Amino acid sequence: MKIEVNDQLVSKLQNLALIELSPNEKERIKKDISNILDFFDKLNELDLSSIEPLFHPISTGKLRKDEIQQPLSLDDALKNVKRKENGYIIGPATYGE
Amino acid sequence: MVSKMILETVEKLRSGDLDVDEYVEKTYEKLYRIENKIKAFITIRDKEEVKREVKEKIKLNGRLSGILIAVKDNISTKGIRTTCASKMLEDYIPPYDATVIEKLKKEGAVILGKTNMDEFAMGSTTETSYFGSTRNPWDLERTPGGSSGGSGAALAAGIVDIALGSDTGGSIRAPAAFNGVFGLKPSYGTVSRFGLVAYANSLEQIGPMAKNAEDLSILYSIISGDDPRDATTISLAPEKIENAELKRVKMGVLKDIVDASDKAVVSVFNNALNKLSSEGVEIEETKLGYTEYVLPAYYIIAMAEASSNLARFDGVRYGYSKYGEGSWRETFAKNRGEGFGIEVKRRILLGSFILSAGYYEEFYIKALKVRRLIKESLDNLLTKYDVIVSPTMPILPPKIGEVIDDPIKMYAMDLNTVIANLAGIPALSQPAGLYNNLPVGLQLMGKYLSDYYLMALSSKIEKVLNLYDLTANIS
Repeated sequence: MKIEVNDQLVSKLQNLALIELSPNEKERIKKDISNILDFFDKLNELDLSSIEPLFHPISTGKLRKDEIQQPLSLDDALKNVKRKENGYIIGPATYGE
Repeated sequence: MVSKMILETVEKLRSGDLDVDEYVEKTYEKLYRIENKIKAFITIRDKEEVKREVKEKIKLNGRLSGILIAVKDNISTKGIRTTCASKMLEDYIPPYDATVIEKLKKEGAVILGKTNMDEFAMGSTTETSYFGSTRNPWDLERTPGGSSGGSGAALAAGIVDIALGSDTGGSIRAPAAFNGVFGLKPSYGTVSRFGLVAYANSLEQIGPMAKNAEDLSILYSIISGDDPRDATTISLAPEKIENAELKRVKMGVLKDIVDASDKAVVSVFNNALNKLSSEGVEIEETKLGYTEYVLPAYYIIAMAEASSNLARFDGVRYGYSKYGEGSWRETFAKNRGEGFGIEVKRRILLGSFILSAGYYEEFYIKALKVRRLIKESLDNLLTKYDVIVSPTMPILPPKIGEVIDDPIKMYAMDLNTVIANLAGIPALSQPAGLYNNLPVGLQLMGKYLSDYYLMALSSKIEKVLNLYDLTANIS
């Protein structure tokens, strides 16, 4: 399946990934994505219909015990926050879009 | 006969044969002299602070009491900047230690600094680092490999004897090979990823790097183990094997991988195999199969996981946050657009594409099916052979700038190494020899949880090849 990598697709990906690209980057990435997708296309040569996907190399998952532990202090947890107020993180607006 | 560099240093520090001031001063002297040429570190700790810590730690009865270690900069270190070589985390200081760091500190190790790497471990040459490329101590015009290139270069330059790296598709083994040192990508689930900044969870492990197999094994024994904070660690520990015999070891050579490697690399590799053969190793050619599909499958999986993992970097709780006004979508997109470098953006965008409606089945699921085929092929080969070998890297260390502008060319470097990550099996790289004074790596892959066996075997091989404790001569 040949996928056409055009401006529209790159814009869609910018939205999905929440990454703003400069005009120069857009051109460069458009070309790269096209080349890399051609490279990925190789997999279509194989008949994989009877094969089960392998998501993870080990099948055992586990849960830790539900015990109270000492978490990071509020001060420590917020140490790398640039915008904060009274122990809260100030985030960008999430309404009015 | 047996080299045990770190244990000897611990003993000397403890007995006073090696003066603490002298040990630390000499290390920093070397660091100051060489670092501006190789740029192995992103952050170097204050000398006096390190000296004080070494003095405290030698009073402990730890296995690494007082030993200086270099740590890759994607492993969280409490109070020490951890950047992942990204503008995004340029000033990020973790409020906690990764589990492997807690374990090392308990045994008395002291962090010297944080090493350079490809940004978020995405690269094979350490050239995608926001802080600039590390250079290979064997040839300053060449890359040290990546992504753990700073750790590899620090070892090859003789600044430290042990280092930590992380390996998602060869990021420990590539720099081990290109720098003439030892590196282990452990069996998946044997080393905690708690505190490792995630790139592709189902593929990566933190692992040890050292200048001989014995030190590698000591470091692995300290950092490995079950961890309640990482649900993918396993409670079953690899069997401790201290000694392996070379005689009658069944070694399968991956012919299809060898054939895809450069002549120079193959000549050194074959030379090493001939020496092993005369020690009684039974060497046979075999095939992995699917070699043309390995890299597409690996990169689809890695990019898909990366796009999900790196969604957390929005500049709100930590990280690059020049923009704070406007809607959340705009703010995140601008911070991420400026905070990430080009290779990271490429992988996140492609990962988002791969996981998007309509393409998930077309790319992601197909890649996971190929992953199963590769794992089955390796599992099958490992019922016939004790160990599978190949050159670690298909090429000699590339020159700075040689592969960086062509993603496909860069990805092609990873063919020999990614297969172990796809299957979760352990893989080790050790020096096979030199070609025009450039190191070539020998890769050993073994059954799941055969980590100690691989290292015991590696210890025998290093003696036969007489290649261990190598230090580059930096002009």
